[in-house]
Amino acid sequence: MTAIVKNTGNFVETEIDDEIVLMRLSDGDFFSLEGTALTIWQAIDGLRDSAALTVFLAETFDAPAEAIRADVDRFVADLAAAGLLSA
Amino acid sequence: MDGRRDPIEIMRDETRVRIGVAPPGIGSVSVPPGTNCLTPSEFLMREPRMAAHYRQGEGITLERGPGLTEAEALLYLHGSIYSAIAAINGLLPLHASAVAVDGKLIAFTGPAGAGKSTLVAALGHLGLPLFCDDTLLLDLAAPGPAMGLPGHRRVKLWADSLELTGSAALELVSDDYPKFYVTRGGGDIATPLPLAALVLLERGAEPAIEPIFGSAKLIALKDDHYARQMFESLHAQEAVERLAIQARLAKSMKIFRFVRSLDRSDFWISTRYLAARLSGMVSG
Repeated sequence: MTAIVKNTGNFVETEIDDEIVLMRLSDGDFFSLEGTALTIWQAIDGLRDSAALTVFLAETFDAPAEAIRADVDRFVADLAAAGLLSA
Repeated sequence: MDGRRDPIEIMRDETRVRIGVAPPGIGSVSVPPGTNCLTPSEFLMREPRMAAHYRQGEGITLERGPGLTEAEALLYLHGSIYSAIAAINGLLPLHASAVAVDGKLIAFTGPAGAGKSTLVAALGHLGLPLFCDDTLLLDLAAPGPAMGLPGHRRVKLWADSLELTGSAALELVSDDYPKFYVTRGGGDIATPLPLAALVLLERGAEPAIEPIFGSAKLIALKDDHYARQMFESLHAQEAVERLAIQARLAKSMKIFRFVRSLDRSDFWISTRYLAARLSGMVSG
């Protein structure tokens, strides 16, 4: 499996209140991450692949990996489509 | 003290006016009537009946053309020229009117016609000191909250807003711009105050105040007003720099939506509703 990597050259991020806000440099669009999405984002360390990320989050949330896998895959796919991640 | 000059002093000195002849352009750039040119140290604007040139450290040279009235000259001096001087000297303009509450600022923003001036005039009648009208200059040099500089413009209202707020007309601005001045000076306060809250003026049915958070704050802080564009053209040309400024502001103050009816019969109900909550909005 391929490690999930943040495309740090494509965005800048800032923390406001309880959100992380990413601004895509190509068009200035904002992406707001809070709650579970924020936890997934913070767990992306450039080393974990999707499976490892799922295991990590399952431990963090004390939830079955099967219940989390779909959320992780959707999140990674959405942010990869936006150019903010590579997987 | 950090050795930096007091920004109020800077603006006072830099906005001094002498009558003279403005140059035809800046460097190799000519500035025909109806246009202007802004550089990191100079601003030149030409209008059919006047021209004004500012150079950092030298103040404003005003060239008066035939038919220029005092009121018209003041509109330019207190408008684009003032904003350009602020931008050149590193002060961020916010398109907002503000009052002071418990030693802090609460600013009201919205597009032209949203009722910023009318609202601060009405809040003044309820005992809240006016800080500025239409443009709030912010000093971001020190860490912490943005510091607002006391306003320079006299509050101007249309005739219907005079009646609505119970304000007395002191002077007609000009025959071709029939607003009326309702204050004698720029504001009631002479010292900088920290900006604690920004309120977006929005139209709705019942009066309501809603706090907004996170990315919604950044969106609220986007401002396409000409004064902001002047600042950004000099100090924040890149999107990353603009985000840094917006994030700094978003982190250092609260932002609210104030929804209210624009029906004249509801005006004082919604204004009193707001006034009763201002102290809580700037606390903490």
